[in-house]
Amino acid sequence: MSVRCARARARDRVEDYLEGTLPAADVRDFREHLASCDDCRDCVVSREPSLLFTRVGRDEVSAEDVARVLAGVRTGIALREAERKLGRSRSGGRRRIAAIASAAAVAAMTLLLPGTGRLPARSAATAVAPPVETAAPGFAPAARGSSRTFPADATIYDWNPGAGVEEPRVVWIVDRSLDI
Amino acid sequence: MELVYSETRDRQEAAELPDRELALRARGGDSVAFEALVTRKTPAVVSVARRIVGDGEDARDVAQLVFLRVWEQLARYDEKFSFNTWLYRITTNLSIDFLRSTRSREKAHGATLHLVRLREEMTGAQTTHALESGELARLFEMVSSRLTGKQKAVFVLKEMEDCDTKEIARILSCGESTVRNHLFNARRILRRELARICPGLLERRRS
Repeated sequence: MSVRCARARARDRVEDYLEGTLPAADVRDFREHLASCDDCRDCVVSREPSLLFTRVGRDEVSAEDVARVLAGVRTGIALREAERKLGRSRSGGRRRIAAIASAAAVAAMTLLLPGTGRLPARSAATAVAPPVETAAPGFAPAARGSSRTFPADATIYDWNPGAGVEEPRVVWIVDRSLDI
Repeated sequence: MELVYSETRDRQEAAELPDRELALRARGGDSVAFEALVTRKTPAVVSVARRIVGDGEDARDVAQLVFLRVWEQLARYDEKFSFNTWLYRITTNLSIDFLRSTRSREKAHGATLHLVRLREEMTGAQTTHALESGELARLFEMVSSRLTGKQKAVFVLKEMEDCDTKEIARILSCGESTVRNHLFNARRILRRELARICPGLLERRRS
C-alpha cells in the first residue's frame, strides 16, 4: 500500500476510531500508521487532542527495577508466610511479636540491599525447612565451613543471589524455641 | 554424578512457558514459575501503574503490591480467562486505590507547583514532533491529574496499552458502555486541560 493510501485510510478511520466502532484488526493498523506518520498524527490530534498521548510509550523498566520489585515481592511473601505460620502456632503473643519484629528487621535489611533472592516455597510442606546443620556454600564467609544445628521447628528463609551476581545472601531463621 | 535438580535449568524452562502455564504452575506452589511471571510482567505492570499513579517510585511500590496480591489470590485465577486481563484488573484496582490515598493526593498537589514551568516548556515546543516521549509523559501526568482513577485507567488501557473496549470492561468489571463513557469524559477533560496548559501547541497544530 502506498503512503498516500495509508494516509487516506487513516484519515477515513478517525471518526470510527474515536467512536470505538473500528474493528480490532483495523485499530492495530490505524495505530501503527499513526506511530510512523507525523502528518496523520497531527491531523488526528487536531481532531482529538488527547490522542497526542498515544505516542507516550511504555516506560523503560530496567533490569535493576525488575530485581527491586522481585526482591520486594519476596520479602512481602516471606513476611506474610511468617505471619501466617506464627499466627497458627501456639506460641504466646510476646514471642510472635518478637519474631515478626525480627522478620521486619531482616526484611528492611533485604530491601536496603540491592539483592535478588529466592522466595520461600509457597506450600507449607516445603516452606518449613527441615533442620539445617551447615551453612550452604556461598553463604557469608564467617559462616562458611561452620556447622550449627537448629531446632526442628525452626523455619529458614533463604534469599540467595543468582549465579554470578555479586550480592549478599541473607538467611533469616525464625526459631520458635526461643522465648524472648 | 547425576544432576538431579538445577534451579538454573528450571528458570530457563520457565522463561519459555506461556503466562497461563506459569500461573498454573505458580498456583501449584512452583516458586520458580512465579518468579518468572513477576520478571516477565513487571515492565507492563509498572508502566500501567506509572500512568495511573503518576510517579515511577510509587508505580514500583504498586507493582510489588500487585504481585503480592497475585501470589495470595492465585487460587482464584480462572484459567479460562487471559492472565493479562486478571493481572491488569489487580493492577488498575490497586493503582486506583493508591491514587485515592492521602499520600498520592499530596503528591499531586506538589506536582501542580511545577505546572508553570511545564507550561512554559510546552508552549515553547513548535509542534508535537518536537515533543519527546519523556516530555509527553510528563505532560500527561499533569493534565491527567484532573481525571478520576477509573477515567485514567480506561484512557491508559485504551490509548497506551492498546486494549479493546471489551477487554477493558472485563478488567474493570463494568459494562462496555461504562468504558465508553469513561473514555469520552477522559478525552473531554484532557482536551480542556491541554488547551489550558499549552494552548499555543494546539493552535500551531491547527494552523
